[in-house]
Amino acid sequence: MTRTETSTAPTMDEQTHTSEAESAVKTRRVEMQSRDAQPAPDPSEFAVIDAIRRGETVPATIHDAVEDEPHVLNVQNFRLWYGAAQALFDLNMNIPRGKVTALIGPSGCGKSTFLRSINRLNDLIPSVRTDGELLLNGEPVYAPDVDVIDLRKRMGMVFQKSNPFPMSIYENVVYPLRIDGERRKSVLNEVCEKALRGAAIWDEVKDRLHQPGTGLSGGQQQRICIARAIAAEPEVLLMDEPCSALDPIATLKIEDLISEIGQRYTVVIVTHNMQQAARVSDYTAFMYLGRLVEFGPTAELFQNPKLPETEQYVTGRFG
Amino acid sequence: MSQAPLIQSAGDANEPRHVKRRTPLAVRGEPMLWLTGMALTACIFMIVALLGIVLWNGFATFWPRDIHEVKLDNGSVFLGVPTREESYDPGPARLADIRAESETLPAGSLDDKGLPKRRLYRVGNKEVTGQPFQWVDLMDIESIEEPKDVVLLERTEWGIWLGTPETILLKEERFIPATADGGIPLEGMTQTKWGERRFEREILESTDEGARVIERTYVAETGPDVWELLPEMHRDADKRRARIKSLNKHDVGFINMKMERARLAFREVQLQHEDGKVSDERLAAARATFEEKQETLEAEYEELLEEIRELERIDDRYRIVVRDPTSGAFAPRAQTEPDEPMRLSQIVRVVRANDLGVGGRLGVYFSRWWEFVSEEPREANTEGGVFPVIFGTVMLTILLSIIVVPFGVIAALYLREYAKQGLIISMVRIAINNLAGVPSIVYGVFGLGFFCYTLGNYIDNGPTNPWSPGMWWVGSVGTVVILLCAAVIGALGRPTPGQPPTRRNKILGGAAMMLWLGTLGLFIALIAKSPFFDGFFPARTTFGTKGILWSALTLALLTLPVVVVATEEAISSVPGSQREGSYGCGASKWQTIRRIVLPSAMPGIMTGMILAIARGAGEVAPLMLVGAVKLAPELPFEPYFPYFHLERSFMHLGFHIYDVGFQSPDSEAARPVVWTTTFLLIVVVVTLNLAAIAFRARLRKRTRGGAF
Repeated sequence: MTRTETSTAPTMDEQTHTSEAESAVKTRRVEMQSRDAQPAPDPSEFAVIDAIRRGETVPATIHDAVEDEPHVLNVQNFRLWYGAAQALFDLNMNIPRGKVTALIGPSGCGKSTFLRSINRLNDLIPSVRTDGELLLNGEPVYAPDVDVIDLRKRMGMVFQKSNPFPMSIYENVVYPLRIDGERRKSVLNEVCEKALRGAAIWDEVKDRLHQPGTGLSGGQQQRICIARAIAAEPEVLLMDEPCSALDPIATLKIEDLISEIGQRYTVVIVTHNMQQAARVSDYTAFMYLGRLVEFGPTAELFQNPKLPETEQYVTGRFG
Repeated sequence: MSQAPLIQSAGDANEPRHVKRRTPLAVRGEPMLWLTGMALTACIFMIVALLGIVLWNGFATFWPRDIHEVKLDNGSVFLGVPTREESYDPGPARLADIRAESETLPAGSLDDKGLPKRRLYRVGNKEVTGQPFQWVDLMDIESIEEPKDVVLLERTEWGIWLGTPETILLKEERFIPATADGGIPLEGMTQTKWGERRFEREILESTDEGARVIERTYVAETGPDVWELLPEMHRDADKRRARIKSLNKHDVGFINMKMERARLAFREVQLQHEDGKVSDERLAAARATFEEKQETLEAEYEELLEEIRELERIDDRYRIVVRDPTSGAFAPRAQTEPDEPMRLSQIVRVVRANDLGVGGRLGVYFSRWWEFVSEEPREANTEGGVFPVIFGTVMLTILLSIIVVPFGVIAALYLREYAKQGLIISMVRIAINNLAGVPSIVYGVFGLGFFCYTLGNYIDNGPTNPWSPGMWWVGSVGTVVILLCAAVIGALGRPTPGQPPTRRNKILGGAAMMLWLGTLGLFIALIAKSPFFDGFFPARTTFGTKGILWSALTLALLTLPVVVVATEEAISSVPGSQREGSYGCGASKWQTIRRIVLPSAMPGIMTGMILAIARGAGEVAPLMLVGAVKLAPELPFEPYFPYFHLERSFMHLGFHIYDVGFQSPDSEAARPVVWTTTFLLIVVVVTLNLAAIAFRARLRKRTRGGAF
């Protein structure tokens, strides 16, 4: 089974997307292993997780507080395959507007895949196939007539590893406007300053905007990337483990920044770090093996979750 | 020495370990270290030897050497520049004789094995000696002297002349009116700008009014006087020569060009008239304009010719007598006129080799180098300079990179960024890589057959057997229909975004692809068989023959794989995270390529260009077929519109080496030129490469610096 899936991997666009292909395979492998090895502490306690491991469809536990919020993203029966391997199973969730939503879960549970489905970055992998609905402010994301490029312009994305472009700090930040054909110096200057202030890095780089950012630290680079992501005033800001490659101090700064940005933008953040999810997010979704398990306000999910599995996971005793 | 690692023997862990005293050599890998080191040393030695030999010979060529006055045992005396020495086997009988009298031979005339040594002298003076190089047995030499007053003349024609300068004189034919007593003084003194000088006259024909005489005024009659006046007079003569040359080349050339243009303009009207497209009146008008223009141009030409003749008459007065001691003859103005001393302006350089200090020699040395790189070749390329050759090489290389880089980069972009990686693309890639291994002469044959004869001929004369207009129109309409079909089917076959292509998508896509190819083929056929195109140069062959453009295209094809491979490499090494970042910002694929991928890949692309230059600049075989010639009458560049003449043939350093070295009538004289040209070829290639490397370093700094 696993072998047949690996053989589909080389048909994908080689350099860019091997990581996704691997993760797809990994998802599957985790599934297989868990089926074979059954490492869970006490099966009787974890009914939902066990059902998921058996491949059964279990309705997610979604707190009412989530449903009461106004939503920016509606996900309905969303499914995704890498070739023959299914990575996301019948996701149904509504992401609240103007809040920070954290996606947590063990490695290979499909958090990043889901995040990349929101701005259709998964389109870059030829073998990916999707099904179901995903609505951004009521408009379908996966309709045939959707302009992907325009769609992506409505969202910003920050990646796990900071990826500034080989150009000056200024050009990096105004990149989304440049590709939109914006040439007015005044507009660009204004946006650049606003974005850099928004990313809390203006004071550090304002004197060297037109220099390449040689000598910027990892955290500063990541903040430049955040500035770039918010430069075009996105409807949703997607963050894929933005702090995983940073040292604790830089992480702290970025976390502060996320909390601050969360007051102005809708943020969806994928994280491996429970404390981070607890600190920065308003809502948290717990995913497992491509399925949503529990989704609720962060405080409630961490202190008083409805499922015992969630409690075990957030306290670090499982996963 | 490194410590010998402990190797545990099998068995109980508590047993004392068996410790090996030494690790085997093969394990430590020391022999491999020696082997690799030796291989590298051998490589370095070979490269240094190659460069060393070329540099040494290249640099040594122009150093002025002493002139020997050699007196032989048989009493004859000659002047010569020693070139090289060797031992030789004169045959058993002669060898026995030599051995018998070896005691009496001068020291050093035999080598260690008792073989006689001989020396090659460059004796020049081709008009009297017949052969400019001469072997002399060392044992036959009675004495060698190095007289201070002998000179080596580098002449514009007939190679060098060795001799002693005796006189500088003014010789002219003029009319002298008879004096009151009816006589004409045949000797006397006259005032010249150099002072009072002796003159002689020789009457050709005399009448009552006076006589036509040949008058010789001796400006300098002794060695020291000659030396005093020669530098300045030679400089003046040089200027006159340059002026005459410039008038002949540029001014006359300009008039010729205008004449040719007028002729072609008229010829075109004439051709159109033959086709019935132009009325008789317009033809007559065109003829009138042409004739009028021709008249004015001819008048201009006459005027110019008059000026040139006058300059040449003046130039012809200044003569110098440089006598060869062996034959007693002096350097003649022309081979057929042994009694006429040569003109001053026929001297390129006077080297008084035996009287020069190091400074003087350096002066001669550098002036020879300067002449070599800035002048045109003379004497079947064995003398003079190689400026047109350098120019041709550099222009060809630049042209080649201008063509090959965009082509290669675009092809590599499609291969790496757009094409679906699969069997077909792998095959294409392998094919491209294999192109690099095709022998270069194959490209030459292709270039000659396709570029020169097919494409060039099409540009000159239009299609050879065009379709009839009716058929052409049918074809055009068909092409448009197929094009539309391809577009429609392609659009229908587009897979839904976000979904993998279905079977139907694939079939329709394949069909669309075939139709696109068909359209392309038809389009090319429509151009190639158009009945409405009669060529741009129907009146003469312009592009349909060897030329620098075709050479550049052929070499571009030859170096294309290098650029494609390097660019692909560079593109694929751009991190995927940057592409994703760009897509995440809402950039399209092309925007990502243009703004992120290409700038990052630029240094790698430059590497490809450097490799292409390195390969292309040194290539000779294909050029022999498609463009390089022994002697190009004109550069592919002119200082007036349209400046570049890409249809012209050109000279190339690589081909020049071959030509001078192996096709030259005088191989001894050519030998130094081969070395210097080889040296220059290395210099040109290295310079072009260094320029590209410097450019790449700048780019790299910019992108590296930008990459945080």
